[in-house]
Amino acid sequence: MPKSIYIDPKEIRKAGEIKLPTIPVMQYSKSVEDELREGNYTREDLLRIYRDMFTIREFETMLNLVKTTGGYNGVPYNNPGPAHLSAGQEAAAVGMAYTLTTDDYIFGSHRSHGEILAKGLRSIQILSDEELTKVMDEFWGGATLNVAKKGFKGGSTKDLGICFLLYGAIAEIFARETGFNKGLGGSMHTFFIPFGIFPNNAIVGGSGSISVGAALYKRVNRKPGIVVCNIGDGALARGPVMEGMTFASMDQFRTMWEGDMKGGLPILFNVMDNQYAMGGQTRGETMGYDFAARIGAGFRPDAMQAERVDGYDPLAVIDAFRRKKAALERKEGPCLLDVVTYRYSGHSPSDQGSYRTKEELEAWQAEDCIVAFGEKLKDAGLATQQELDSIQQQMRDTIFEMYKLAIDDTLSPRMDLVKNDELLGNMMFSNQSIDSLSNATPEVNHPMEENPRVKQIAGKERFYLDKDGKPVSKMKTFNIRDGIFESIVDRFYKDASLVAYGEENREWGGAFAVYRGLTEALPPHRLFNAPIAEAAIIGTAIGYAMCGGRVIPEIMYCDFLGCCGDEIFNQLPKWQAMSGNILRMPVVVRVSVGSKYGAQHSQDWTSLCTHIPGLKVVFPVTPYDAKGLMASALQGTDPVIFFESQRIYDKGEEFHEGGVPKEYYEIPIGEPDVKRVGKDVTFLTIGATLYRALKAADELKEKYGMEAEVIDARSMVPFNYEKVVESVKKTGRIIIAGDATARGSFLNDLAANITDLCFDYLDAAPVVLGSRNWITPCHELEESFFPQPSWFLDAINEKMVPLKDYIPSTNLTSAQQIIRAKRGV
Amino acid sequence: MANVVIMPKQGQSVESCIVTEFRKKVGDSVAVGDVLFSYETDKATFEEESKVEGTVLACFFADGDEIPVLTNVMVIGEPGESFEEFAPKSEETSAPAAEAAPKAEEKKADTPVAIAAGPVVEGAPVSPRARRLAEQKGIDTSRVAGSGPYGRIIERDIQAAAAARGPLSGKARAMMAEGGLEAPQAGSGLAGTVRGCDLKEAKPNHTSIAGEGVDFDVVKMTNMRKLIARSMYNSLQNSAQLTHHLSADARRLQALRKKAKKAFEEGRLEANVTINDLVCFAVVKALQKFPNANSHCLGDAMRIFKKVHLGLAVDTERGLMVPAVKNADEMDIVQLSNALKKVADECKKGGINPDLLSPEAASFTVSNLGNYGVEIFTPIINVPQSAILGVNTIVPRPKDTGNGVYEIVPFIGLSLTYDHRALDGGEATRFVKQIAIEIENLDIDF
Repeated sequence: MPKSIYIDPKEIRKAGEIKLPTIPVMQYSKSVEDELREGNYTREDLLRIYRDMFTIREFETMLNLVKTTGGYNGVPYNNPGPAHLSAGQEAAAVGMAYTLTTDDYIFGSHRSHGEILAKGLRSIQILSDEELTKVMDEFWGGATLNVAKKGFKGGSTKDLGICFLLYGAIAEIFARETGFNKGLGGSMHTFFIPFGIFPNNAIVGGSGSISVGAALYKRVNRKPGIVVCNIGDGALARGPVMEGMTFASMDQFRTMWEGDMKGGLPILFNVMDNQYAMGGQTRGETMGYDFAARIGAGFRPDAMQAERVDGYDPLAVIDAFRRKKAALERKEGPCLLDVVTYRYSGHSPSDQGSYRTKEELEAWQAEDCIVAFGEKLKDAGLATQQELDSIQQQMRDTIFEMYKLAIDDTLSPRMDLVKNDELLGNMMFSNQSIDSLSNATPEVNHPMEENPRVKQIAGKERFYLDKDGKPVSKMKTFNIRDGIFESIVDRFYKDASLVAYGEENREWGGAFAVYRGLTEALPPHRLFNAPIAEAAIIGTAIGYAMCGGRVIPEIMYCDFLGCCGDEIFNQLPKWQAMSGNILRMPVVVRVSVGSKYGAQHSQDWTSLCTHIPGLKVVFPVTPYDAKGLMASALQGTDPVIFFESQRIYDKGEEFHEGGVPKEYYEIPIGEPDVKRVGKDVTFLTIGATLYRALKAADELKEKYGMEAEVIDARSMVPFNYEKVVESVKKTGRIIIAGDATARGSFLNDLAANITDLCFDYLDAAPVVLGSRNWITPCHELEESFFPQPSWFLDAINEKMVPLKDYIPSTNLTSAQQIIRAKRGV
Repeated sequence: MANVVIMPKQGQSVESCIVTEFRKKVGDSVAVGDVLFSYETDKATFEEESKVEGTVLACFFADGDEIPVLTNVMVIGEPGESFEEFAPKSEETSAPAAEAAPKAEEKKADTPVAIAAGPVVEGAPVSPRARRLAEQKGIDTSRVAGSGPYGRIIERDIQAAAAARGPLSGKARAMMAEGGLEAPQAGSGLAGTVRGCDLKEAKPNHTSIAGEGVDFDVVKMTNMRKLIARSMYNSLQNSAQLTHHLSADARRLQALRKKAKKAFEEGRLEANVTINDLVCFAVVKALQKFPNANSHCLGDAMRIFKKVHLGLAVDTERGLMVPAVKNADEMDIVQLSNALKKVADECKKGGINPDLLSPEAASFTVSNLGNYGVEIFTPIINVPQSAILGVNTIVPRPKDTGNGVYEIVPFIGLSLTYDHRALDGGEATRFVKQIAIEIENLDIDF
């Protein structure tokens, strides 16, 4: 909603018509001779294209034989993992890779072996021997290369590079520690960053938004190269792909971003259109676009310069890529290619192909891309059949050698989780502390002290009481949103790679005004409004971080986490470990937890995040904690889900002596904090429930003489139990409270662990006080839904120590507990 | 100036005494020598006489209270003098003084959360914390009433039970952990520490059987009775005892008794040496040859005595007492006879040195029921001693005098109960046989 863009009713309401650009279909018609004549290829280039295509075919054949016959060339092996093969699609893959350098990044799908090999082989070809040797020597300290060398029969550095590539990929697919990702990625996630091969994704369309984030990274951090998002035609139905395309298509890149930032993102959506979405046929059955290329017209006036090209002719694909790459370099992105190809194998080896006829398969095989290209080479007099056979034999031999090495348990061991059962646990987080992920000078509009918000905060009281002990007025109190702001603005001035975006993030300053002032401080490419596309907001952030940047995506309401479920639960937490710790994931997702807004805007979903390994989860509820934890989150290299509560954005600091420090400080993630010392019962709270627990503690002391120790969890993952155990050993009783609906919440996890750790010290079982297992009712009825101060006393009276003359306000009896559970509420 | 009367310390092992009766009440005037109160230790009764003249200004205890030694009991002085400062601290005492009572109520007001515990319920749930605390404090949870939800025994119930008596010594805690015992509100150790000897057999929980029934009366055991009960029970619970029976030819014994009696009557002997004295004399001799029997069994160690301290079971009106005669091995028969008579008389009259009543005081005990015609019995070891000899009545029995000739001769029965942890059957048998040999061959002339 920039004021700079005037929405003119006269213009908007004017009559007219939308003219869609023409989308070329199969327009490439050059012969091999034409291409040679134009100097586009040498003979060697064309023979290498043949070699690369055959290499992919043999690689997939090997995997198919292993899956279906339990071995390859008579050497048995059982591969229980997945194998989504791309035989038939070789020309599309090799064509895709041909024009790319190692600065160009590709992202893939679950069926991307061909793309990896094609890009790898191409990278080996264009890297100097020195560069290639360096890459191989340095990767896993030479561990992968050393095994590959054992099967290397001599030849050039590039020949060794091919051994290295094939071995690394096979070993990864077979889950070996010497594989490209220590065997933790596997068939569907194999990748190799030094060759510009970024993660493939087992979630259909998963790369659709992540790759856009990579393009954003390249733009914002002025990195060379383009990004190619290889996805299948089936993925075009997926929300994240649509959202990713939407994000990539935003007008603001052209209309609002300034200087060299101005212009479309360097992203090419390359649809490997193999006609099938698992068993569903896209054209004619499950989609309605007729040709996949048509969807480009829905995103940009230039239809993303979409073309439908023949993916059975590598030269047609290369021709299209040359033009698209040039367009992207002219900042005309995003672009779209619909590369028509065909998958010989089923979705997986278990697929019986019941959805297609033998005739159809045979018809495509009759036009096989490798055979056809070989014929063209022969027709052009570039190679004899013997020469082609020799190329085939050479690649077969190499693959067989690498296969034998990769299945050798001694040379290619698996990660030993029996000997060291913490090995994988140690890989879940990178736990680094880094001031800045960029060497560049951060781009800002003015010195920090000139920022209007910074000036405004400077006049605020940093403790909730003034010097005389009187409460400071709300307007003059340094509050939680100020605390978050201070750490974020600090990082914006420290780390040039840091960007923040989300809905209403710029001029509005975020729906809850945390970013107020940042608009003035930052150019549009560092803080901008995203489309209402949570999957893209998080997905692009993942891609941005994967490439090396720091990013704060914002989810306006916790309830919208569902809209980016795959990104939060399946992508963000996975890539550090799944990459074998090659990738870091410095993404701080700000999530605001609502109230007052009913069933779809007032839910505390912190527990959903704690359930997924690989995410750090924090929920600070004081200005001091919010500032310190945000500083830690932004200093780290791990994904942090940073929850904020809309109930208390304007809370002042009530606990930290001397108020919130002006200078930078960090609070380690994972350390709960004792907010009030007591001896008779412990309250452990998550989120804004802290303030209700304190009220309960007041009443408990006043009326019943019991002193509650109140501990604010602050973080959920990681979580240090030591302070809580110490407290429970003292008090013998604990209530664990939070606003998440009680069933299945993290509160129960805490309760179970505390019971385990403190069993002999417990005077009563830990009591969990969560919200009722209902929809969140309207604000006026919320007191019956969220834990209230009286609930704490009820729990004490009913479950721990009967209180004298106490009349409970809620029914916490065991009988009622059973009845509710029986009813599922 | 007001004078304080303290509970005297009667012997080293005495930790506390029980006041049997206060003879003087607050307001009474007393003269020097007036009996202020009577009290009893483990097994002896005493009277405390006033050493000053004046008026009883304060009395901090009531009849029946168990009072740690050296604790202030009464204050005597001129009316109007202050005495509050002499009131013993509440944790030192079992029953709070009258003055202390309101203080205790104040404390209650401080913690209004307290809800009276319900009745003691068999099998009541116990919180893990309460269970753990009960173990630490040596409290039997089956005797505690729960005040938690659903009658659960919770930490505060154990704390209340623990507060109702002093802290436990290590030994007392170990004994309590075995169950069946009750600790007093305050023990006799430092700062009211409850020592092992303070423990009493637990009272039954069942208040319903208290009082009178249709065909029975419920009578409280005397403290003495309770102590005996506890130590006897403790003996059988905590040792591996069994008894060997054997007889000795009593002809020489009877002959010596006859001569001694005559000599005593004629004034030639300074003691009326009895059969029991002679048996004891023989026992001392046998013990010197069997040091393992002259011992204490400490579970994982033995205390082997170099001297013989002979315990003697004495039947008194107040119950069984077992005083020790120290260094019996140094005594001739006359000395031994006199010593045995002295301690027995002291027990019967009261005033025996309580130190001599401790089971630790004797190295071996003799219990003689022969006078009562008992032919055979299984005495209970006075633990930690390793053995006890029961002396039975003399019974005429046929004896093979050789060549198939049997003669009726008097035999005295000997029943040796020994702790199999300390002695094996062979050694025990040889020991009791040695007693018989000593009895048959007593080398004394009167």
